[in-house]
Amino acid sequence: MGRCRRPGPNQRVGTMPIFGLIDGNSFYCSCEAAFDPTLFGQAVVVLSNNDGCAIARSAGAKALGIKMGDPWHLVRSKRELCGVHWFSSNYPLYADLSRRIYQVLTDRVPRVEPYSIDEMFLDLTALPGNLFERCRQIRADVLRIAKIPTCLGWGPTKTIAKLANSIAKHEPGLLGLCDLTNPAVRAAYYARLPAAEVWGIGSRTAEKLERAGVTTIADFVAMDSKTLRDLLTVVGARIQAELLGVSCLPLSLMAPTRKGIAVTRSFGHPVTTWQELREAVAAYASRAGEKLRTEGLQACHMAVFLQTNPHKPDENWHSGQRAGRIEPTSDSMTLIREALRMLRPLWRGGHRYFKAGVILSDLVLARDQPAMLFAVTDPVKSAKIMTALDAVNARYGRGTLRPLATGIERTWSTRHDRLSPRYTTSLKEMLVATAW
Amino acid sequence: MTANSTWLLSDLPPLRRSSISRSTRLVMPRLPDVAREYDGGNTTGFVSPAGDSLEGPIDLSEVLDLRRPHRYPVRVKGDALLERGIQHGDILIADAAASPAAGQVVIAMIHGDVLVCQLAYRCGQWWLKPSGADKEPQPVADEAEIWAVVAALVRTSV
Repeated sequence: MGRCRRPGPNQRVGTMPIFGLIDGNSFYCSCEAAFDPTLFGQAVVVLSNNDGCAIARSAGAKALGIKMGDPWHLVRSKRELCGVHWFSSNYPLYADLSRRIYQVLTDRVPRVEPYSIDEMFLDLTALPGNLFERCRQIRADVLRIAKIPTCLGWGPTKTIAKLANSIAKHEPGLLGLCDLTNPAVRAAYYARLPAAEVWGIGSRTAEKLERAGVTTIADFVAMDSKTLRDLLTVVGARIQAELLGVSCLPLSLMAPTRKGIAVTRSFGHPVTTWQELREAVAAYASRAGEKLRTEGLQACHMAVFLQTNPHKPDENWHSGQRAGRIEPTSDSMTLIREALRMLRPLWRGGHRYFKAGVILSDLVLARDQPAMLFAVTDPVKSAKIMTALDAVNARYGRGTLRPLATGIERTWSTRHDRLSPRYTTSLKEMLVATAW
Repeated sequence: MTANSTWLLSDLPPLRRSSISRSTRLVMPRLPDVAREYDGGNTTGFVSPAGDSLEGPIDLSEVLDLRRPHRYPVRVKGDALLERGIQHGDILIADAAASPAAGQVVIAMIHGDVLVCQLAYRCGQWWLKPSGADKEPQPVADEAEIWAVVAALVRTSV
């Protein structure tokens, strides 16, 4: 960190690296519209888990004044919002379209870094032909194949590419493309954009800069390195170098190994009985086990917490947390047993619980784990049962076969009242076309 | 689900668990060695003469190219395209990367409807060709309305 990248052995000295950043416009809303032509050009909102807040808004919804994070149950009754189409978040669909975008990109550029579900960094260094034309084509191909409208910006560093992407998004005249490889073009934008637009400069940092008389990006890149380091440490110095065209952040192609797995959800309605709470936490523990097994990991440490609704001050507030080491395992049954053991002393009757969670940490690769001499769970038997469990659920859908402790009715489960079909991942929910 | 359709299910990739950053990793849990299934090669006594020639079952998702980003499954509603051999309930494999040509069956998203129909080219313009005499051909205003070209068909019970 902080050290700038030296040209590697396979990078020609003298070739300026070019990074691109492509991201989906209102990604979740675009995913919904990709399979539903009645949504084209409409106001669309996608809500967070439990149908709580707006987490994605189409251009039409933004125009109606819906803000990111607006609590939907409070704003939906406004008269001007009655025509808004709203959806619960359909993550299987979004993940599949993100996968498609990634594949379209890897077919067209040498290296792609999936930075988030809707943003990918591209290596556009030393590609033959006209770069602008190529980028225009990439954007058109993503729209035609993955059905998602995007913006694409590029420049000599990741930070500049990110800025170019944001310019492409906010200036409709650019048709979704912005080239910041030319220093003169960059200088013109730097002079009129606020420093807070830069990737890595948050609102707190921006305030600090403003007190030092730095408002635009041009002011920021003109700061002398001593003042900058005193104010924002080496992190600030790296952002400045990146903005000046010196690449410090290489493309990372490997997702870092997981440090922990958290399954925390708010309930569909306040939970008041031990029975419901126990089921919910067992279900979270079981889900955490599934996640461990798909990555071939085992957990050695577990934490369990629960809390009442912090946004309802008139209700009696209670929260609790317990953590401890557990026998290294990825067995759902063991995880459920441990989670309930920790949960029991946390439970107090008479409270309306709003949220609970299971957090696993100290993860180790299952294959590197030496056998335990006095293990409670028989590892061979456990592996067989879990393999069978996962195989059934992979084939017939998640939750087909599950521990009884996780409940049958699941009255506590997360609300998602308006879920669109899983068009691309479920045999039963495929896109339907009428023969004409 | 009918017994006829189960063979197809087993050949479809477990798409739901796919994740972009680990697209090349095995998504099914690895079977422990004790539970490995007999595949014609791993005999316990006499060495199988077929050991070097194992090919595994036919992978229909490979044949239908379902792991590629431009392939989408679409379910047919209605029997209007019987003359093209397309029945109600069939699964079409639509290709979003193929460029449309006259005479092809396409998935069109037009006036808020999702249609599967034949494509025609007349007077410098694309048209949706209706299957019945009671319907008028419909002009395609924008090529984006042609969502994908139908490339293959799967019928899970005959």
